[in-house]
Amino acid sequence: MASIDIRTHRNKIENISALPTVPGTLKRISSIIEKPRLTLEELSHFVSNDPALASRVLKMINSAVYGFPGRISSVSHAIMLLGLNVVKGILLGTSIFEIMQKVMKGLWDHSLGCAIASRVIAEKLGLKYPEEVSVAGLLHDLGKVILILEYQENYDDSIRDATEKGIAISEAEKIHFQETHAAVGMWLSQKWRFPANLIDVMAFHHSPAAAKVAPLETAIVHFSDILVRARGIGFAGDPFVPAVNPVSFEMLRLSDGDIRDVLAEMEDSLEQPTDF
Amino acid sequence: MPKIPIDKLEPGMKLSKPLVSRGGMVLLGDGTELTEKWIDRIQDMEVDGIYVDGPSEQKESKEESLAKLDARFLSVEKEPYMGRLKRIVRDYIEALYGEH
Repeated sequence: MASIDIRTHRNKIENISALPTVPGTLKRISSIIEKPRLTLEELSHFVSNDPALASRVLKMINSAVYGFPGRISSVSHAIMLLGLNVVKGILLGTSIFEIMQKVMKGLWDHSLGCAIASRVIAEKLGLKYPEEVSVAGLLHDLGKVILILEYQENYDDSIRDATEKGIAISEAEKIHFQETHAAVGMWLSQKWRFPANLIDVMAFHHSPAAAKVAPLETAIVHFSDILVRARGIGFAGDPFVPAVNPVSFEMLRLSDGDIRDVLAEMEDSLEQPTDF
Repeated sequence: MPKIPIDKLEPGMKLSKPLVSRGGMVLLGDGTELTEKWIDRIQDMEVDGIYVDGPSEQKESKEESLAKLDARFLSVEKEPYMGRLKRIVRDYIEALYGEH
């Protein structure tokens, strides 16, 4: 059984545009969002110049996932309303949708469910930017997409191992890659100059006690991930519900009714068309 | 709230979600009661179905659904808060099948 140390591949992964398995759309998006001083105008120009991309982005923003149904009609309007980082995240979201459809369909439903749950919980907690938490939920498993694309055999082994041994996919990843998708997601979100909050969520959604910059946002995505699995929505690499971190769960102060609300909103939103 | 294919719509059904055009415009608000005229118009549009009030039809039986829930939680039920979480999800699933 092949095992690699993914940490020695960090440079290769960060240089995502050179990976042969990565589709052109994601490469183009990566090259724009990694720019050090990306302005609103540049991003708006980039998206508006590609009608197919622009329509996918608007479709996602206007979907139930983001809670602005039918209200945003232009890319520049979206960027003003949601901010640069959320639109960067949604751009990535639409391009990973394409990949997930091909390589691991259930991961898209898992990611969407997590995005919705994260937004609803962030709203309940009165966070100022619930859309940013939603983007963190949408992208939290981004590292899996890269691992599946570039190291398909090792990833297939990880999925098989997880199911056969009854362990979490992240545990199986440690066996086959020495590190997990959370680290890969963190490397990429640093490269893409995402805000520190999002990087924290990417890195620590399985170990929320380690989150220092954004413990609350990390706790939200950590719990959303568990809730989506608890409801049996999508597939994220193994069929089990992981245990919640008690401290993170207590931080959220959710009542039974709150959790029911999140389940209901997640299900309602996922019943609507989610092909971006 | 079930999603009904457009050829199964009947006058008197009430929308449980707004009908939104491809361009993102709200065409009919939620709560709108469908008339023959609305149904004709909707059938001329490119939509695959409409959400109306009423219990959803579930893809699998309640027993299957609950058995899968048990399997998913098997190794974590005794962990802090996980029993509570499972009970909430179980109640939620049961309610989808029209009990409570």
